[in-house]
Amino acid sequence: MSAARVAMAQPPLTLDVAGVAKSYGATIALQRVTFDLRRGEVHALLGENGAGKSTLVKILSGIVRPDSGSVRLAGQPFEPHSLLAARAAGVSTAFQELSLLPNLSVATNLTLPRQRKGPVGLGSRRLNEAKAAELLAECDATDIDPGALVADLSLAEKQRVEIVRAVSQRPRLLILDEPTAALAEPEWLFRIVERLAATGVGVLYISHRLAEVRRLCLRGTVLRNGESIATVDLADAQDTDIFRMMVGRGAEEATQRTRGTQQRAAEAPALMLKDLRGAGVEGVSLDLHRGEIVGVAALEGQGQRDLFRILGGAAPAESGVIAVQAKPVRFADPRHALHAGIGFVPEERKTEGIFLGMTTASNISLPILGRLLRLGLIDGRRERAEVREAARGVDLPDRYIGMRISALSGGNQQKALIARVLLSGARILVLFDPTRGVDVGTKEVIYGVIRQFATGGGSVLLYSTELSELVQLAHRCLVMYRGRIVGEATGEGLTEQRLVSLASGHGRAA
Amino acid sequence: MSGQDRRAGGRRGISGDVWNALALFGLTALLILGSRWISPGFGGWSQAKAILVLSSFVVVVAFGQQLVILTGGLDLSIASVMTMGGVLAFTFIGASSPALLWGVPGVLLLTAAIGALNGIGVVWLRVPPFIMTLAMGIIVYGATLGLTGGTPRGQPSPLLSALFTADLAGVPLVIYLISVLAVLGTLLQRGTGFGRRLYAVGTNPAAAHIAGLPVRRITMMTYVISGASAGLAGVLMVGYAGGATLTMGQSYQLPSIAAVVVGGTSILGGSGLYLGAVGGALLLTTFSTVIASIGIAEGWRTVIYGIVILLALLLLREELYVWVGRLAARPGGIPPRSTPSTAMTGGNK
Amino acid sequence: MSASVANTRQRTAMSIRRLLGNGTLIVAAIYALLFVIFALRQADALSRNSIVDLFNNALPLALAAAGGTLVVLTRGFDLSVAGVVALSNVLMATVVGDGPAGALEGLAMVTGIGLLVGAVNGVLVAYVRLQSIASTLATMIVTSGLALLVLDAPGGNVPDFVADTLTDVVAGGIPVAAVIALAVVLAWLVLRRTDWGVALYAVGADETAAGLAGIPTRRVMFLAYCLAGVFYALSGYMLSALTATGNPNAGNSYLLLTFAAIAIGGTSFSGGRGDVVGAMLGAATLTLLQKVLFSAGVSSFYTGIFQGIVMILAVLVAALSDRIASGRRA
Repeated sequence: MSAARVAMAQPPLTLDVAGVAKSYGATIALQRVTFDLRRGEVHALLGENGAGKSTLVKILSGIVRPDSGSVRLAGQPFEPHSLLAARAAGVSTAFQELSLLPNLSVATNLTLPRQRKGPVGLGSRRLNEAKAAELLAECDATDIDPGALVADLSLAEKQRVEIVRAVSQRPRLLILDEPTAALAEPEWLFRIVERLAATGVGVLYISHRLAEVRRLCLRGTVLRNGESIATVDLADAQDTDIFRMMVGRGAEEATQRTRGTQQRAAEAPALMLKDLRGAGVEGVSLDLHRGEIVGVAALEGQGQRDLFRILGGAAPAESGVIAVQAKPVRFADPRHALHAGIGFVPEERKTEGIFLGMTTASNISLPILGRLLRLGLIDGRRERAEVREAARGVDLPDRYIGMRISALSGGNQQKALIARVLLSGARILVLFDPTRGVDVGTKEVIYGVIRQFATGGGSVLLYSTELSELVQLAHRCLVMYRGRIVGEATGEGLTEQRLVSLASGHGRAA
Repeated sequence: MSGQDRRAGGRRGISGDVWNALALFGLTALLILGSRWISPGFGGWSQAKAILVLSSFVVVVAFGQQLVILTGGLDLSIASVMTMGGVLAFTFIGASSPALLWGVPGVLLLTAAIGALNGIGVVWLRVPPFIMTLAMGIIVYGATLGLTGGTPRGQPSPLLSALFTADLAGVPLVIYLISVLAVLGTLLQRGTGFGRRLYAVGTNPAAAHIAGLPVRRITMMTYVISGASAGLAGVLMVGYAGGATLTMGQSYQLPSIAAVVVGGTSILGGSGLYLGAVGGALLLTTFSTVIASIGIAEGWRTVIYGIVILLALLLLREELYVWVGRLAARPGGIPPRSTPSTAMTGGNK
Repeated sequence: MSASVANTRQRTAMSIRRLLGNGTLIVAAIYALLFVIFALRQADALSRNSIVDLFNNALPLALAAAGGTLVVLTRGFDLSVAGVVALSNVLMATVVGDGPAGALEGLAMVTGIGLLVGAVNGVLVAYVRLQSIASTLATMIVTSGLALLVLDAPGGNVPDFVADTLTDVVAGGIPVAAVIALAVVLAWLVLRRTDWGVALYAVGADETAAGLAGIPTRRVMFLAYCLAGVFYALSGYMLSALTATGNPNAGNSYLLLTFAAIAIGGTSFSGGRGDVVGAMLGAATLTLLQKVLFSAGVSSFYTGIFQGIVMILAVLVAALSDRIASGRRA
């Protein structure tokens, strides 16, 4: 780190990205991205979900080709047509969604796509495992058994294998996409990154965690809506400046928070959890009152996904109590949650939310089909009227209603999904990252819908990867860590800094 | 498959499918008229009538098959269930007309129950549909074989035969029957809550589950209906042929799938219309009738059948719409420089 | 200390689980059990003829199942087996000359056709990205049609050389069929250890991840379909040797039996788990089951019922062993 700090004479560029753009059909993933990365530099890539980070990673890894712009690697034009070509040119990536094969051993995974060959030219398990042991030892990961099946590893071990594999390619540019999401001890990774950087490897480091980024990187590039906003010297930039660049709003606007305290009268909470347990959830208790928006903050993989899925009826609870309006309920199916008045918006819009092949109207009207029937048939006029009204509620223009939902932008799809959930008559909304990958305008609309829903007496449990969103929207915010709720921030104490420190498992005390 | 926004544009689902069906009807009419060219006796109303009657069995089985395919499944037990339905009708109803009153519902109930077993295997035991229904087909066939000892014995039902021989205003009764079925089937798909939910389940089962739809019950229902429609086709066959054989259903397995696929239903589930499948059935029946009349070998007919299915699959790919949409969207008509590999952009796990 | 003890115990538990989840071992045990029953019921079960017979009867199905397994490992279904088996069979019964030269010529011809059909399937599935069931259904229909064109009714004669030599014994009593089966097993053991063999499992488990790991997923799938086609052709070839006659419908029963053999052999239909050897043993088990049923006096009418039920049970057992192997519950 200090070595890089004193290098005033600029080392040569490892990576030079200029004006790169990429769109998928109507969706613009990257508008214009420009930044550079010097030899031996650890460079941070910062941005909200949907800012285009993953598309950039895909382009640099050779999976996707840009529509325009240029990329140079160590001075040479870099236009890989495949992952292997990128690898051959010296770029290797540890992917966020882990690219390991669960049914193969650690050793086989580390040596894919080509196994070590024995004397007759056949893959040799012994040589493979010896090689893998060597690679693991180089990265100080000798505790992982090269012969173990990946399926038998813990999530943290898998993530380490993914990183070891990327490092083992001896890249000149190493891309780490959210590498610490599942790591309990990130110091292990920091040592590797620092060692590589010292030997001149360039590292592109993508992380939500600003503290980590500051620990490793001198410079960082901020992406917003597919555009590189700026490359900043991290030492000179305040957290708030960086957040502002990421979100695109002034700090004063960003603090325009939900005001007013909800009536926490003697009435029973709308939703009450008591020592709820299930896969990934280690005993969660909470109260959610009428008119209240409660945020949930957590680092990646702390059980928040499991908690929300249990509440949505999509995953089983093992023990504990869920009570809606003081009435204990059990969900074996999302239908039961729906009947209890819980509207669940899942994480993956395309795979679990909307029906791509159907029209927007059919998507929205699904929950009310029963009451649209006349003589056993759906009354088209009433359906249109109901859908139009629901669409208006989420600011979705009329002209989209008759279209196939697949033709809509991600933001409008999300609006339609929320319209459907609202139409189901839910009194409690359970929203998992509802603004993921949507544009700023849609975000504002969604915030408005959430606030209005709460003002109208509904209750909202909201998880978001963007802490600023939670700070803005929630009356109070719970923090999850390793399957438990470890803290709560309310009122003046509800700040991003406080959430960050709670979420990383520190500052248990108020 | 691909995780990107599709540029199929604002095509309204319904009109597209109806268009498709109408095109198939038009093609059928053209083919019938054109066959006059082959033989002067062809191309007339009498030939059209014969083809409509002949296609009625495929029209009936394709109804259930299509519902199953709409949920992303496949029913390969249809041939055996149809045979069983026919054999049962032949054996137990016989020539007695009052027996039709309890006999036909009885046969339909039984074949629906076989469908229910398929559904249980697919939905609750999670056996792949293709394996489950294939195995069920063999089991049902074995049972029918054992039951009849190799030769079905019974008597033809005059009332069932009347469906094919008697006519009203010059049109055989069975044609009214399949017309009514075509209308009711299409209404069931597009006009009822069940139909709408069925499409939702077929388009995206995971989302349907999260949205609180009874995914299992709906999937199960499609197999039940498929069993019953195969049973009904078997009963009709008895009326047409005046008897039942152990191979009577065999030649309807592939046509039931082919009619659905040619009729514009995606084999991946979620899109398609019964009217289209009816059109597909008519077109394929006409096609094989005309081809048979020019004395072509059964082998060639089969080969052509396979190629037609393949072409339908190729033409119905979503990517094709995407591609056409892009051409339309870009004035230059230049396809994009590169497309990401599907393998990469597909959702992970 | 205690941590390492716990660790060892965990590892032991894991290896036991894996053993229980090993489909090949399970099917071998089932076969052995069935064979004991067979030997008890049938006096001449252990005679040389009876053993040679078992190998001869099982081999065609075993070859088809071996090919099908390659495709199932990539999470696909290949229905073209029915058409290719029939087409190879009728060709062997009609156009092939006698003698070793004719046999080789026939072998080259049918494997060439199998390769071609496999390549068409491979292109449609791996590159055009059609659903495997749908596209192989179409190629199955086309190839069955071609079989009907070659021979429109059962008949024809497979050259004596093929029919006699390939069903005979060599080296003082080893069935030729056993030699061929052994050769296929050895070939598989080699293939399994190539990069392609490893990639086959990777692609079946998770195509996206396999792509991210640098595997040329499309090529791997394409080759799987090609090789499968060759195996189906070999299956038709050996079937011709067994029946000595041609039948354009010879492949019909293969559709069900092939997948039953694959399922019994412990290969998971959700891809990435299973083994060719298991599928071949599965085929042998199904053949033996028929003999056992016959010796038990069960009417041949009901064989289908048994086969269907065995097939469904096999899939259920495979799913269960899958679950045990991966240690998941519910």
